[in-house]
Amino acid sequence: MPDWSKEIRDVIAALDLPPAREAAVVEELGQHLGDRYDELLMAGVDPEAAYRILMLDLDDEGNLVAGLKATLHTSHQPLPFARYGHGSFVAGIWNDLRYGARLLLKRPGFAFAAIIALTLGIGAVTAIFSVVYGVILSPLPYRDPDRLVAVWSTNHGNRDAATPADFVDWRRENTVFSDLFALSITRVTVSNGEGTELVGAMYTTPGFARILGMPMLLGREFLPEEGEYGKSHVALLSYELWRDSFRSDPGVLGRQVRIDREPYTVVGVLKPAPTERETDRLFMPLAFRPEQITRDAHMLYAQGRLKAGVTLEQANAEMATIARRTAASYPATSKDWGARVEPLHNDFLEDSMKTALYLLLGAVGFVLLIACANVANLLLAQATLRQREIAIRGALGASRGQIFRQFLTESLLLAAIGAGLGVALAWGLLKAVIAIIPQYTLPQDQVIGVQIPVLLFTLGITIFSCLLFGSGPAWQAAHMNSSESMKDGSRSTSRAGGQRMRRALVVGEFALALTLLASGGMAIHSFWNLAHVDLGFRKDHVLTFLLPVSPGQLTQPDTITAFYRPLLEKIGALPGVSAVAAATGIPVYGPALHVPFTIAGQPTGDARSHPSSGLSMVTPGYFQSFGIRMDRGRAITEQDRTGTLRVAVVNESFVKQYLSGLDPVAQRVMIEPPAPSATRPSQPVEWQIVGVYGDVRNRGVRGEERPEIDVPFWQNPWAQPEIAVRTTGDPESVEQSIAAVIRSVDRDLPMAEVETMDQVVDESMGSDRFEAVLFGGFSGVALLLAALGIYSVMAFSVAQKTHEIGVRMALGADRGQVLRLVLRDGMVQALAGLVLGLTGAWFAGRALQNRLFGIGAIDSVALVSVSGVLLGAALLACFVPAWRASKVDPMLALREE
Amino acid sequence: VWLQYVAVKHIEARAIDRELKKGSAELLILSLIEYRARHGYEISKLIEQRSEGVLKFNVASFYPLLYRLEGRGLIAGRWVEKAGQRRRRYYKLTPQGKEMLKTQRSTWLNLVNAVRLITEAENA
Repeated sequence: MPDWSKEIRDVIAALDLPPAREAAVVEELGQHLGDRYDELLMAGVDPEAAYRILMLDLDDEGNLVAGLKATLHTSHQPLPFARYGHGSFVAGIWNDLRYGARLLLKRPGFAFAAIIALTLGIGAVTAIFSVVYGVILSPLPYRDPDRLVAVWSTNHGNRDAATPADFVDWRRENTVFSDLFALSITRVTVSNGEGTELVGAMYTTPGFARILGMPMLLGREFLPEEGEYGKSHVALLSYELWRDSFRSDPGVLGRQVRIDREPYTVVGVLKPAPTERETDRLFMPLAFRPEQITRDAHMLYAQGRLKAGVTLEQANAEMATIARRTAASYPATSKDWGARVEPLHNDFLEDSMKTALYLLLGAVGFVLLIACANVANLLLAQATLRQREIAIRGALGASRGQIFRQFLTESLLLAAIGAGLGVALAWGLLKAVIAIIPQYTLPQDQVIGVQIPVLLFTLGITIFSCLLFGSGPAWQAAHMNSSESMKDGSRSTSRAGGQRMRRALVVGEFALALTLLASGGMAIHSFWNLAHVDLGFRKDHVLTFLLPVSPGQLTQPDTITAFYRPLLEKIGALPGVSAVAAATGIPVYGPALHVPFTIAGQPTGDARSHPSSGLSMVTPGYFQSFGIRMDRGRAITEQDRTGTLRVAVVNESFVKQYLSGLDPVAQRVMIEPPAPSATRPSQPVEWQIVGVYGDVRNRGVRGEERPEIDVPFWQNPWAQPEIAVRTTGDPESVEQSIAAVIRSVDRDLPMAEVETMDQVVDESMGSDRFEAVLFGGFSGVALLLAALGIYSVMAFSVAQKTHEIGVRMALGADRGQVLRLVLRDGMVQALAGLVLGLTGAWFAGRALQNRLFGIGAIDSVALVSVSGVLLGAALLACFVPAWRASKVDPMLALREE
Repeated sequence: VWLQYVAVKHIEARAIDRELKKGSAELLILSLIEYRARHGYEISKLIEQRSEGVLKFNVASFYPLLYRLEGRGLIAGRWVEKAGQRRRRYYKLTPQGKEMLKTQRSTWLNLVNAVRLITEAENA
């Protein structure tokens, strides 16, 4: 029998019909020719002649092609009950959408799995992008934010605050800023007659609100003359302070308040801040006495607005010129100093925060990719199951393009549902993310939320992911050989191409999942290391706080001692308190002062080359309160007071760095005694080292210990120390009784920054916890998705191979062999993904390396653990289908055929 | 000899076929599937048999015609599987096709009557 299919295809090849249509024509005409051929043979015609007759019939001098061209090509609508080609493109898509929706409802399992994956992927990306947009990308919430700049003093390229004299020069001599203002951030006590509280405050030159474009709710901004010394006792309240501490009093203007015990008049209230994170609650004019306008105290932040048309480069060029002039005129103070103009946007955002956010965005991008691979896999399986439907659609005249469009529309529908749910998830997730971001690392004025630009981004990634997961399966569906699949009868077989694609996707998923899991594992491992680091002190049962005494309140050593000594004694006598200390620096935060020093008897050289060390003034209870270990000599005692020998204790790092080979307790250090009110440097004096204590983490939990000198507080009293109280029970339970003691000494003095040391340590690890939780969480999601991916592929493959498994079992394979066969099949894919993923993990390790604590770029502990977890998950996911396969009844499986 | 006969017969049939095709083919097909669905080969076979070999369609002329009728919504084709057989595409009349058949049938009857009246009168 001649191969009529081939002959027909050759004749009609020129028509270039849609493949499904072509297949249907070939099948129908082939049957006709076959029947006719048989008939001719029965009538006695010899085969060769019959063949020639029918070949003449077939082409009929081009009539077939001409006829089909006229019918099939002029209208792609041969069948009334196929909707293809009817109406507009939009109507077609609408039909596809409705059909897709019906299909989803009919296959809830498939729909559920796909939508969950997309919701997780899109939700995670949207949440993290909301943070990235809010923190990094969105413009400042002020008028013309692009023209707002910060002006810095620079010293060998490092930026620093400006001196008052520099700021005065800059403002007078520049031609590039429409306005410039200076500010200084501090905290002040404010009493409104009902109570006293410590609030964040800003001293600023008049005009800041106008320059930034911050609107007033009540009253006015500072007048220019209120920036002069003696006229500056006026204040602006933030909306939040007005609301919380002044009960939104509309008559607040003109009211007297006491700020750091000085009387001020309220002249205005600002409108609400862009975010609740804003900590500046109170604003006072920055006014200098003439003697304060110096060039050696770098204490002011200068900000301004560029004139229209002035570029950053022009501004920088002019400021450099001004700075050079200043350096030439005042070489003693300004020789190495320059000036730099930077955009205000993100100027205070730490690079490490930026990096962390971008890394996280990358991580959730991986989650989305894994989700897309999962959905693509499910769709490929669906396309295989729908071979007959596709074939029928083809036979009904659907072109490849139309089938492609229909499958892609179904993907779009899935993506749209996933995006809708994803945005809802992102909204919840964002709240959780913001809750664990260390608050001080976020810009105070940038709004973080699911905003319009974020939604546009989500729309973009939805379309992107739809194309990503939908186009492969749609292409596969459009190119299925419909006549073959129709002949195949009821049992659809998966095509080798589709199967390969599905396996490749699983391998890819596992590779991505391992990369992400390795990152999560490393972040968690790093956090674990950090949580188990030897702090050098006991963080449990310690309460710390600060007493915001006013600058004018305690100025002399005698008054300071007279204030703190009885106070500490009273606190120490409280029930539940076992030790109490005052110190100018506590562990983790480290010393507040850094001073140059020399070792007595050693060559000193130029004063500029003297080494420097942290310096704390501590009362005798300090070492006991924090449980700090003395390695040598003695600690500071009650005998070390004014009039006795000046003594000091140093830490191990100090000994290692500066006293190696010497007996430390035989040395004396030379330090200028720090004095809070000193304006001129005094002469260095000798302090006898009497003890060495074990290193304490004094630059955050992560930071390396630095040399530190502790001297007796009573020999060198300081007005605003931290107070630390060791308790026998819950440290927070004694807070009220301590507050009562303080009120009994000074009723206007609040306890400020009350924190337990546990909280201090926790806060110090905030960034690490943030990364560990998020990387860990997202890698968990990745693990889940990858496991679901391999499960769906294996389950589908087993369902498709039921017949083959039946044959194997009929031929003598036992259940164990079948189980092993399926498991091996799945685990090969998982292992391939794992090997690929190790490369990804290596890159992830390099990207994270600077942020990790106590581990290298290749963290074998994390890698081995996450590989184990991933393989375990894969094994579990493959086991269910494998078990099902081993339960196949060979007779039933064969009968199905 | 047989081959020659077939070829001659084929050419003769084709001449008649060409003449009549335009007007009659649609009517023939629609009539044959008026009461039951038939597949393409069956329809073409029936046309040949009932016209005693005078009317004959080959593959090249028949299927474009069939598809055109389908495209116009006069007939509807459907793949049907029967036990022990290859699946085949069966065509049946649509309501639109029934209307069309009615119209064409009466037009043809009128025409044939008219032709008969003229030709019989001449012969008589």
